[in-house]
Amino acid sequence: MPSALKYELVARCSTTKARAATLTLPHGPVSLPLFMPVATQASLKGLTPQQLEETGCRLCLNNTYHLGLKPGQDVLEKVGGAHNLQGWKYNILTDSGGFQMVSLLKLANITEEGVRFLSPHDGSPMLLTPEHSIALQNTIGSDIIMQLDDVLVTTSPDAKRMKEAMERSVRWLDRCIAAHANPARQNLFCIIQGGLDLELRKTCCIEMVARNTPGIAIGGLSGGEAKSDYCKVVNTCTSLLPEMKPRYVMGIGYPEDLVVSVALGADMFDCVWPTRTARFGNAITRCGVLNLRHSRYANDFRPVEEGCECVCCRQGEGGLGVTRAFVHHLAAKETVGAHLLTMHNVHYQLSLMRSVREAIIEDRFPAFLRQFFRDRYDGDKTSYPDWAVEALKTVGVDLMEN
Amino acid sequence: MEQKKNFMVLGSADPNIIGPRMGRLRFEGKDEIETPNFLALTSRGAVPHMTPDVIASNTNIRGIHMALEDSISLADLTYGPLPGSKRISKMADRTEEWLSDLLKSRCQAIFAPVLPLDFDSQSEYINRLADDLADEIAGLAFYDSNLLPDMPATTSLSRLPRLSLDEPASPHHIIRQVSLGMDIFTIPFLGFATDAGIALTFRFPRPLPGDTDIPIDNGTAVVPLGVDMWMPTHATSLLPLSQSCSCYTCTSHHRAYIQHLLSAKEMLGWVLLQIHNHHILSSFFCSIRSSLKDGTFYSDAEDFAKIYESELPEKSGKGPRVRGYQYRSEGPGEEKKNEAAWGNLGPDDLVEGGLVPDENAEELEEKGFAERLS
Repeated sequence: MPSALKYELVARCSTTKARAATLTLPHGPVSLPLFMPVATQASLKGLTPQQLEETGCRLCLNNTYHLGLKPGQDVLEKVGGAHNLQGWKYNILTDSGGFQMVSLLKLANITEEGVRFLSPHDGSPMLLTPEHSIALQNTIGSDIIMQLDDVLVTTSPDAKRMKEAMERSVRWLDRCIAAHANPARQNLFCIIQGGLDLELRKTCCIEMVARNTPGIAIGGLSGGEAKSDYCKVVNTCTSLLPEMKPRYVMGIGYPEDLVVSVALGADMFDCVWPTRTARFGNAITRCGVLNLRHSRYANDFRPVEEGCECVCCRQGEGGLGVTRAFVHHLAAKETVGAHLLTMHNVHYQLSLMRSVREAIIEDRFPAFLRQFFRDRYDGDKTSYPDWAVEALKTVGVDLMEN
Repeated sequence: MEQKKNFMVLGSADPNIIGPRMGRLRFEGKDEIETPNFLALTSRGAVPHMTPDVIASNTNIRGIHMALEDSISLADLTYGPLPGSKRISKMADRTEEWLSDLLKSRCQAIFAPVLPLDFDSQSEYINRLADDLADEIAGLAFYDSNLLPDMPATTSLSRLPRLSLDEPASPHHIIRQVSLGMDIFTIPFLGFATDAGIALTFRFPRPLPGDTDIPIDNGTAVVPLGVDMWMPTHATSLLPLSQSCSCYTCTSHHRAYIQHLLSAKEMLGWVLLQIHNHHILSSFFCSIRSSLKDGTFYSDAEDFAKIYESELPEKSGKGPRVRGYQYRSEGPGEEKKNEAAWGNLGPDDLVEGGLVPDENAEELEEKGFAERLS
């Protein structure tokens, strides 16, 4: 199928499976590996598009489910799509809308046609199909669109249902490809399913890679499975995916998960956690998460994170030099406190991925990983998470080594 | 302890003249503020909705007003506390005492309050201000602008900048206070309008040529002071909030986006309105100063009164989430002040923060979200 992106490999880690690349999308280039902040309803939680641009973000998410309800397809069409709606000059990725339906609507029921649910207001039966999802995403005009998939929680014990979901996702991919009206302007990504069953995942990879979509996502994860199982799935899939296509693992955002997943060969990630946790007064830093609502920060006049280059922490020209005490004073009281931490947290995630990329390009990623875990756990190797140590061993990095 | 002169009345400073005036206010190490002008109101030391970088790059805010009870840190401007005593005769005495204490310990510019009492009840205090303390204080803060004409006609007081804490309810009240000689304003209706989803659109003294959507029918039709952005009619409007406006919101976004953000209860909606509304007020005061300079203020003020509606539009939509300090707790078992944005379908134990569409099946189908099965 046609593609509206260009994937250029810049460097490969000589030890792990990590890659650095430049991905050129319809609204400009982005550097991989990449974290994508989530602007669910066409706005990133209180930040102006100008502020989001200043964090360095060039690709953010919108949710199809939410935009389909508000402002709705009709308005999106009249306004000329999501870029015009939110005044965002750069790239947008949208999900299919199916995930929210299935995980959040109790009466949703999946059939071969699509997701059936009862309208919560009048009880009428409704149907969301792959064709609906693609039509909506075509109207939204996002640079990357996702197929409608049959998502099950990975921890589901029903192996038969898991296989059915994987196979149905492949069939729905075919329907999505057929329904896609703008393949030259929007990139459709398939979504690998199959739960924690590595054989199912392998079959799904083979089937979906054969469909030749511009990019590939690994879905159904981040749903409460053991981290070691998660790593096995990612590792298995990336080994079967084509080298010259971007690989997106959906719903991942904790800093440890990001750096380990990059080592396992993944390129793109999204998660609401950094922005959501900001609204609860939590700052993500190199040394872990600070809960700035705690009274110990009431008289702490250091920046949120020392040495951080974000607008919020930076001192001097263009920086605000915001102190922990100020955020503490505002947290959960004035939205400005949330906005400040949102800026900081988004900047943290993006800058983490920038340093990951630099380390890959300079072929010192294993050393980067060791430093990352040292900072995060204050040099205490006994508190390193087992799953991360194990996963990194499979790609040739021993965190315990001196 | 002589207070360095931080305010200059431009033009006539004749204490016997009660009327509008222009001036320049300066605090050490800070930019000059031309008056009449306004200070942005803060809550807990922050201008609601706007981070400091947004204020710096997208507004002309020259100063902020912090109420002492909000914060232990002091702003450039400090004024004496408002006494809580019910005994009016005590109020003036106590304020005088507090003010003297504050002056002894101060390191900042201090504005002395003029109490919301009739002049006679506080004449002793005011006279003491005029005779003994005027050199030490940096300005006067009025809780009631109607007391301005009663102030003793001495140069010692008339050279001081006047801060209004009189909460004008509309731009008409601002103009009235300017005409009495008020210099600096705090404007609570600005924040109320933002929270109510109202984009202010008034200009002084009349709409600008670009504001074509505002009907002027031979000067008989009254022009609204603002636009209610909750109205669904804006849902597909690609117009800016105000066509003549050069603020960030109006140059980068359109009504459809603001309407969407309000109806989706996204915080950015109020951020963008706050940027715009502050810009409108800055321009309003800028035009008032030009009008004073040109000597056309009285006729311009008359025009404004004729052209514009007397009150701001009614609030139709809901404001942002209510914050804890904005209401008094009623104790255990009180109802939640903020409705959950989304509800669960089915029992509560299912998922946290479930998402249920507000729309019925027909609307969902119309939105292209899904189809109805007969």
